Amino acid sequence: MKTFEEKWTAWLDGELSGRDLAEFEASLPDKAVAEAEKEAAHKLGALLKEQLGAHAVAMRNEDFFSHQLRERIARESPLSREPAPEASTWWTVRRLLWTGAASLALFLICAVFVMREQNPGEQSQYLTQILSARVDPAVSPNATISMFETTQDKVTVLWVEGLQSLPADYAAK
Amino acid sequence: MRNCALFVIALLALAMSAAAVTQAADQTVWSGLVIAENVDNPAAIPPELTRIEQTLKDLFGYNQFEVIGQSRKTLKTGEEDWLAASKYFALHVDARGEHAAGYVLNLKLYKEKELLLEWDTKLSKQSPLVIKGPQVGGGQLLLVLVVQ
Repeated sequence: MKTFEEKWTAWLDGELSGRDLAEFEASLPDKAVAEAEKEAAHKLGALLKEQLGAHAVAMRNEDFFSHQLRERIARESPLSREPAPEASTWWTVRRLLWTGAASLALFLICAVFVMREQNPGEQSQYLTQILSARVDPAVSPNATISMFETTQDKVTVLWVEGLQSLPADYAAK
Repeated sequence: MRNCALFVIALLALAMSAAAVTQAADQTVWSGLVIAENVDNPAAIPPELTRIEQTLKDLFGYNQFEVIGQSRKTLKTGEEDWLAASKYFALHVDARGEHAAGYVLNLKLYKEKELLLEWDTKLSKQSPLVIKGPQVGGGQLLLVLVVQ
């Protein structure tokens, strides 16, 4: 069984084909990066060949040299074997989902409470409320008391009927 | 990112405490004894009643509202008491604490030294209170309480 490095080298050299090629490419953590490396290796190889040719150096073992060079590049490049570690963050996808669900649940609970408080059958705490009212039956035996709120201006009214009428003098400041 | 979350939480806490401080600020309660009557040339309504002028006119059917006694009390503890008085009437207000939306009050209306009416109320900051008192001549005595 071939090691990753062997397959990688074969892939760089374009020697993989068929099922081997498909399996190897599927095993790559980031194909785009690998393709970039492949292209870089080819460029490097071409450059070396060109340079060596220019100096007219006869290399009997040029293939071996090139192979060794590619292997070294592959070994020293962290991108070829494992994905780059992502910047660490507390907001993972799972935590984001849980936070969203918890926020939604909290919103629904608050909405239910607010809707209960605003039940039209109940008196709002933001309206003035008459808790109790009484007149002295000895002074005003026929007095009746009622209370209501006006929709306009949110005025609470305590309506007392039957109090003894008084002369106009009582309007003095 | 975590620092950002902490910053947001701190900002929310600051905003909530600021709101609480604002809510706890001193409030003034205006209490007035008002004579409502119909006259040919009605005087302008007192500024304290401007907000509820139309409601007063619709409810009682008078065109003039004259303040014959008043008191403006700033509540600091919610336990204060005060008196709004005219020549013959007196409205004694005894604050008995604060609640979420206003104050709990005990009120007594006196005609000279005679107790005419007593009631307990939760006065809201957003909702004025009007009490229909006795008929006085051709008009009507009204008692009004407004949190300002």
